[in-house]
Order: sequence, then structure tokens, then C-alpha cells
Amino acid sequence: MKTPTAQAAARVERLRQARRNRFALVCASLVLAALAGLLLSLAVGDIDVPLADVWAVLTGGGDPGSRFVVHELRLPRALLALAVGLCFGLSGAVFQALLRNPLASPDIIGVSAGASAAAVLASMAFGLSGLALSGGALAGALLAGTLIYLLAWRGGVSGGRFVLIGIGVAAGLVSLRSYLMTRAEVTEAQNAFVWLAGSLNGRSWDQLWPLLASAALLVPLTLAASRSLTALQLGDEAAGGLGARVERGRLALLACATALVGVATAAAGPIGFVAFVSPPIARRLLPGQGAALVPAALTGAALVCAADFTAQHVLPGVQLPVGVVTSVVGAPYLLWLLARAGSSGRGG
Amino acid sequence: MTAQHALQTRDLGLGYGEREIISGLDVDLPPGRLTVVVGPNACGKSTLLRAMARLLTPTAGTVLLDGRDIHATPTKQVAAALGMLPQTPVAPDAITVSDLVGRGRYPHQGWFRRWTAADSEGVAAAMLATDVLDLADRSVDELSGGQRQRVWIAMALAQETDILLLDEPTTYLDISHQLDVLDLLTDLNRDRGVTLGVVLHDLNLACRYADHLIAMKDGRVVAEGTPSDIVTESLVRDVFGLRSTVIPDPASGTPMIVPLGRHHVTSPNP
Repeated sequence: MKTPTAQAAARVERLRQARRNRFALVCASLVLAALAGLLLSLAVGDIDVPLADVWAVLTGGGDPGSRFVVHELRLPRALLALAVGLCFGLSGAVFQALLRNPLASPDIIGVSAGASAAAVLASMAFGLSGLALSGGALAGALLAGTLIYLLAWRGGVSGGRFVLIGIGVAAGLVSLRSYLMTRAEVTEAQNAFVWLAGSLNGRSWDQLWPLLASAALLVPLTLAASRSLTALQLGDEAAGGLGARVERGRLALLACATALVGVATAAAGPIGFVAFVSPPIARRLLPGQGAALVPAALTGAALVCAADFTAQHVLPGVQLPVGVVTSVVGAPYLLWLLARAGSSGRGG
Repeated sequence: MTAQHALQTRDLGLGYGEREIISGLDVDLPPGRLTVVVGPNACGKSTLLRAMARLLTPTAGTVLLDGRDIHATPTKQVAAALGMLPQTPVAPDAITVSDLVGRGRYPHQGWFRRWTAADSEGVAAAMLATDVLDLADRSVDELSGGQRQRVWIAMALAQETDILLLDEPTTYLDISHQLDVLDLLTDLNRDRGVTLGVVLHDLNLACRYADHLIAMKDGRVVAEGTPSDIVTESLVRDVFGLRSTVIPDPASGTPMIVPLGRHHVTSPNP
């Protein structure tokens, strides 16, 4: 005969196990979706490569023709799409959970705007390109993040204040960017516009390696820092009561999330709305499971992969920037969220 | 929970920025007792509680946990001895009851020490004590105010500390749920020996449930002791600026304050 506490503990354990199972199932499905997207992007294009040949190339074989198409042209771009989506999704989930606001996404509160303003400045004023340009974008994201944090600081940082100041900073940075564009030559401006829309066109291994290296560092750091999120989500005072180091934990998470946006934007431009919509999709798949960071990251990866595939193939002969496709998905969600927040008086 | 931790303040000064709220305050939380702090709005009672929970850095003096400055004590050690339930904690969207209560185990975990059987037992015991086990898989969003407050108390209990501080745990609850919460706190105090520090608004409930009552005004302690020893008509006038008649509570024998306003008083001094 079990004691009531033991029975209750068994029940708690069962619920926990069910939650974990669902978490694993959702993550596995998202990984499969991302892999399917990857294979599709490698196989389909101007020259269709049969899946068997794609597999042969990936495992080190294949004929030189397929090898060139898959390995040199399509693989870096597809992997870049996955990595960029992963970084954006994870970053958005951290921001939204930490600031307890579905609008608190780096592409809305000015972190991405900082990256793009810095990139435009770097390419036009200093003629930078390639890795140096990416470095400029990363620095811009970190600067914008620091600026918002300092302006929002009042002996601590509250979510609502951070979001409002972030939106203000975003507006300032966008106008700075526009001013720089008016001073640019037409071709320069056109290149900048394509970059600003967020594009994976013509991306190669050169853009991929720095991103993969940064992500390999930042993703584990973010997940390690996210331990304190369990407590921070309950509000600062409850978190303090649970023994979390509130301000330090928040700063570490914000720094990781900002750097993630910086490196992803540096590689592919500010692909709009990915950081914004991936976390709510993940939370919808796993209701009541907190921040769902890993599922949000996987959702982002699958989303960018699918969006880039769509961008390449939806209009015959035209390569759209992937940001155009993600915006088509993201903008209506933003409107819906604002309308709902307006009518119910709360932000989600 | 047999170890009894002692929580005291010595010459404590507290404030926000330039504004001083409390100065030179000496308060002891008697171990194993239920202490209630009362006082008018803005008297500093919540501020005191936050400082005792290490959520606020003193401008002067110290908070002592077992005789040691709480700000010089490692965070983990504080969280193992002392839990705090703020007035308005935030429940993440759609979180389930068992998940929320489980977050009370946060200080027992680390980067390399994940969930164990002891965590499940701690959560289960807390849910049994607060009678929320049957709500385990429900979403916190859909609970009533009283149920939700019991869930939050379960979260604080799952931390398994032997001091628990609660900031106005009965606010926003209707009267029957207020009594439920205070009965629950009394059970925890009597059955498990939890030392409780509770800020309350309702004077009569404070008098009935407190072993030890602290009455504050303008950042000072006006009186402290058992309610029967200290609650008088003049104390109520001093602390709340309220004319009243104090009679024995017919249910408990503790002092009961009958407030006197300008109207509807047939015998001003019965």
C-alpha cells in the first residue's frame, strides 16, 4: 500500500513524463520537417537532381555534375537557411519569454534594425563587404541591444518599458538607414535594398562558416543561460525568492539573444518576422510548456527553409528575397496580435 | 523540517532612491510561529518583507539569517532556508498547475542536477498540503482566484524552506477563500513547523490568525506581541487613525476591532 504522498508523486511524475514525451515528439517532427525542407531544396531547381543522387553527394559520392549543383550551389544556401532560422527562432523565443511580451521580438524592438543600419553604414561609408560587413552588422545589433537596455534601465528592466524603448530605437535606426540610402548611388542602394529584405540568393560556404561557428558557440550558451528563465518567467520578485540572480540572468540571456540575431542578420540580412512568429508557433504546438526555446529554434529553421524554397520557386524565373515570403506570413500575424491586444487590453 | 532558521533585522534602513521608507528597524520573526505584519497603506510593511527576502538591498543596517548578513550569504543558501511569495507573481501563459508548482524546485536544481524523485515528492507533498493535486493537469489561467492562490502557495511550499514570507496572500480573494488561505497557512505552521511572515490587510483576521503581530506605521514598529496583548483601541487609533471599539472575537476570543465611522454609530463608546 503506497502512502498518499508516494501516489501523488507518481502522478506528478506521470504528468511530467507526458509533457516530456510530447516535447520530444514535437521536436522530432520539427527536425523531420526541416530535413525534408533541406532535401527538397537540394533536389529541386533549374536542374532537378534525383533524391538518390542527392544522397550520394551528401555521403561523399555522386557524379561531378550533381556534385557541383548540390554541394556548391544548393547545400550552403539550404544550410544557411536552416542556421539563420534556428538563430532567429531561438533569439525571438528568449526575448518574448524574458520580456513576457509577444511583441518583444528582435525584429520589432530595434535589434535587427541596429544590425541593418550598421551594415548599410559599413558598406556605403566605409566600402566594407564580406566578413567585415557581417562584423559590422553584428556590432550594430549589439550596440542597439545595449542602447535599449541602458535606456530601459531603472534599477532593473521591465518588459513593457524595454519593448516601447526598443520600438523607439528601431524607428530612429530605420530613419538613419533611410538617410544613408538617400546618399547612395543607385546600384549601391539596390544592393542594399536586396540585403535589407533578407536574402539568401548567391550565398556560399563563405557566409555559412562564420555563422555555423558562431551558432555552435551561442546556441549552447543560450540554452545554458536559459535555466534561469524557469524562475524569471514568474516575475522578478518570485524569481528572486526562488534564488535566481534576476538581473544577471536577464542580462546574460539578452546578450546571447542579441548576439544570435546579430550573427544571423550578418549572414542573411534581417529576414523579417522569423524571430517574431516562430516562438508563438512553437508555443501553440506545446501549450503550457513555458518558453519552448528548442522547438522555437527548430520552427525557425523549418520556416526559413520552406520560405526560401517558396521564394526561389513561386514565380518562375524570379528569385524573390526570402524576407518577402516571411513577411507575407508575419505581417498578418502582427496585425492580428495588435488587434487582439487592442480589444482584450493585453498583449497576448 | 526540523531545523529552525531565525530571521531578524537590525537597525534596518530601506528606501527607493532618495526616498527613505524605513530607518532603524529591529524586527524578529519568531521561529516556528505565524507572524502577521499589519499597518496602513505605504507604512513600509511590504518593503520590509521584500528586504527580509533579500529582494531589496538595505540602505543601512542588516537583515540577519541565522545571525549572518543575508546579503553576504550565498543565494542558494538563502533560497534553501527562505521562500517568498510576492503579491503579484506572474503565471506564464497556459502553464499547468503541476508545472508551476514544479518551478518551486528551482533552487534544488542546477545545470548538472536535473529533476529527481525527490523533486516529484516535494511537488506532490506541496500539492497535497494545499489540496491542488486534483488540479494538477489544469491550466493555471482557468482557475478561480482562490484556487490560483493555493497553487502559488504550493509553488512556494515545494521550495521546502522553513521560513516562508507572503505579501498579502489574501488580497483579491473573497472572504471564504481568505479564510481558506489563512487556515492553510496555520496548518503549515502547526503540522510542519514552517515559520511564517505574512502581510495582511484585514485587521480582524490578522488578530485571529497571528501568533505574533507586528503593527507598523510610517516605517516604524508601533507595537509587537500577541494580538491579545497589544491590540487596543488606542493602538488602532495610533496606527490607522481610526476610532474603534475592541471586543473579544466571539469565535476565537482574540481581539476584534469594530470600526467607528461618522455615521451609523448608535453608541459611540459602548
